[in-house]
Amino acid sequence: MMPARGRPVLLKTDRFELRSATPADASDRWLGWAKDPAIMGPLNMPVHAMRREELAAHIANVDNFMRYLVGIFEKAGGTQIGFFMIDVEPTHRYAIFNVAIGEKGWWGKGVVNEARAALLDHFFETRGIEKAIGLPLARNFPALFNYKAQGWRHEGTLRGQCLSATDGSRLDQYQFGMLRKDWRRLRAKGGPS
Amino acid sequence: MSDLADAKKLLAEAIHADAATVPDGARIGGFERWDSLAHLRLILALEEIIGRRLDPDEAVEIESLQDVAALLTRPNAPR
Repeated sequence: MMPARGRPVLLKTDRFELRSATPADASDRWLGWAKDPAIMGPLNMPVHAMRREELAAHIANVDNFMRYLVGIFEKAGGTQIGFFMIDVEPTHRYAIFNVAIGEKGWWGKGVVNEARAALLDHFFETRGIEKAIGLPLARNFPALFNYKAQGWRHEGTLRGQCLSATDGSRLDQYQFGMLRKDWRRLRAKGGPS
Repeated sequence: MSDLADAKKLLAEAIHADAATVPDGARIGGFERWDSLAHLRLILALEEIIGRRLDPDEAVEIESLQDVAALLTRPNAPR
């Protein structure tokens, strides 16, 4: 049985449009990211020469209820530069956020936190989520920076939590968390962006 | 040169700027030029200087220039 399908996401920030990906978004650009070790490595994902139909099928399987695949598109020009994958645990009302910025020209330009702030607002205020979780690899220093800059709390270091997709070694991960009440408090104080 | 000055030099190199532009109170989220890529460069440079990889619990505690200086002061002592 197909899972229930929820409402797609459609949000705008100063520089980006965030919307649930559709199979039509399965582009050569996106396929290129899946083949790039510099993009997949920090996510501990194997590089993968995927066909367009496979990516389209993967996108089509996302239900916008338990799992969201949200593309990040430049407002000016509409080019996709990355995506969030968000997994929801409805019983406990938390969501695990993953993100990849595929277009390297946007690295270090605050894309993740600008987009994630809008997603946190949206998931906390309209989708009943009460806690957001991030699980970056401990050596993913740009991700570490972003969580700290956005005010997430380091909740733990998960030693040897997962196997490396490239060499099979055990990798450390962090768990960062953001409670809805803490996010609202940060927003009320005027930050973070 | 003090450890704070050394830390400032490291951060300046990471942001591709002169050390004079780095405030003593520079911290993540409070100094715009300290972005995610600069943070990557900073940590890798720091590891090169102290001659070892940072323990994850050390890396996650780096939030300010003072934290970088503290690691330079005690390079072999995980906090």
